[in-house]
Amino acid sequence: MRRPGCWIGVSLVTFVAAVAVAAPALAPQNPYASGVDMLALPSAAHWLGTDDLGRDVLSRVIYGARASLPIGLGGALVATAIGVPIGLIAGTLRGATDVALAALIDLFIALPGLVLALIITVMVGANLRNLILVLGFVMWPPVARLVRGQALALREALFVEAARAMGGKPLWIIWRHIWPGVLPVVAAQFSISVSFAIFTSASLSFLGLGIPPPAADWGGMVRAGYDYLAINPWFSLAPGAAVSLAVMAFYIIGRSFR
Amino acid sequence: MLRLIVRRILLMLAIALAVSALLFFTVTRLLGSPAEMMLGQDASPLAIARLNAQYGFDRPAVIQYLHWLGGALTGDLGRSYTTQQSVAAAIAARVPVTLELSLWSVALAVTAAVVSNTIPAMRRPLQGVVTAVNLVGITVPNFMLGVSLIFILSVKLNLLPSTGWVPWSNGIGAHLRHMIMPVLTLSAYYFGAFSIVYRAEYQAVIQRPFIQVARAKGLGEWRVAFRHAAPNAILPVITFVGISIGQLTGGAVVTETIFSMPGMGRLFVSSIESRDFPVMLAVGMLIVVGVVFANLLADIGYGIVNPQIRDPS
Repeated sequence: MRRPGCWIGVSLVTFVAAVAVAAPALAPQNPYASGVDMLALPSAAHWLGTDDLGRDVLSRVIYGARASLPIGLGGALVATAIGVPIGLIAGTLRGATDVALAALIDLFIALPGLVLALIITVMVGANLRNLILVLGFVMWPPVARLVRGQALALREALFVEAARAMGGKPLWIIWRHIWPGVLPVVAAQFSISVSFAIFTSASLSFLGLGIPPPAADWGGMVRAGYDYLAINPWFSLAPGAAVSLAVMAFYIIGRSFR
Repeated sequence: MLRLIVRRILLMLAIALAVSALLFFTVTRLLGSPAEMMLGQDASPLAIARLNAQYGFDRPAVIQYLHWLGGALTGDLGRSYTTQQSVAAAIAARVPVTLELSLWSVALAVTAAVVSNTIPAMRRPLQGVVTAVNLVGITVPNFMLGVSLIFILSVKLNLLPSTGWVPWSNGIGAHLRHMIMPVLTLSAYYFGAFSIVYRAEYQAVIQRPFIQVARAKGLGEWRVAFRHAAPNAILPVITFVGISIGQLTGGAVVTETIFSMPGMGRLFVSSIESRDFPVMLAVGMLIVVGVVFANLLADIGYGIVNPQIRDPS
């Protein structure tokens, strides 16, 4: 909690999470029920109007939080689970292991994440589990690089040298001495990973590779509503604003810990 | 320096080979029979067998891959399943669009980031504004930015054409008018990202003794900022441009899709939608190799401007 911005981030995340949890109670209508009143402008019955199938846009935006949050958190968890061990091992062991792992990290960091995610998603098929795995797979390199950098600095510290002098085994040193020092950075990066997982998964669904319809999915809604900007702009702009809000919320938290 | 370049080029070739093999084998295994895809599900077994023989789908995957690789090395990337057009020709027509979009965007983003964080008068009163714009640039997804721009500038104000692309030959004015919104959309993220990197470096540079010397000489605040501090703070931005080229291609894919631009990204997305395997493979490969190559260029450029890293010992 170094900067006041953190509180803004925490409140925004709490808000989005609350919306996701309470979606059935909050949504004024059934998000999947189509109606005859298509592409209607905002009214008392439909606060954000309706989409091309006559479904209530506000309800669909509210339910969209239920798709985005699990993907964001899941993707970030997978990225952390892959990136942290690789970074810790590379940074602590040094030598040939570090050279090889650092080359691997550099290679993957240079690869185009979204393009890679597109290719893999089209091959394995888009569903919740696959999307989480794919996002984790394309997002681990920045985590690994950050952790490696921190571990490299920590391993020179006197208390680590003392642990080595006592005859501590590498794994024990990592677990007992390096990991606690790296933890705050991992936590901050986790929040940023969540924001980019939501960002990337929304981009994937905007490109037509998200959770398949009729699920309420923000990126897909922006794409669908984009053809009707002149009729009911909220169909596209409201879910877009929702994605932006969620991404921003997690990003602010992550940044404020740096 | 030469050793660094040779090593990086070898690494690049290895990556290209590995990625192409990986793509080829997984795609052929997972996407199912291309013949069925081309002829539809009701095609007779005879027709499918004939097509398989014609395209060589009945041969072992390794042979198919070597065949593809041999063709790719001689510039023959096969033909599109859907349009029957030569893949190499389709790509050649689209590369300039993507390159132009990306170059404009990086140029705009870097210039705006450097200028807005260097102007002396801006540092205090407007710093909050710049920070807010950075945050928006980094966190608002580019499809949302693009859609918002279209809504405001095209639908509401009717100032700019909403989508499409016009070649240079149809008039420079029309061409540039179609480029404005895509370039703004793609550059927003990079403006934010470059800004953060540049500002941190700038704030470190401005504390250094030579800046005090410049001030003590009586130079104006603007001259100190732009002639003395800025050039020294730009170095990390150069490396960052290299690293973020991978991200840039992803942004270009989305941006070209929003604005229906006939670039590589749009071609890639449409090949995915129609499961057009030769196009998908070739474009995917080209993007990956292009990104790795751009990284190489950035590394070499960084080595030229910063002699310290030429011989890491």
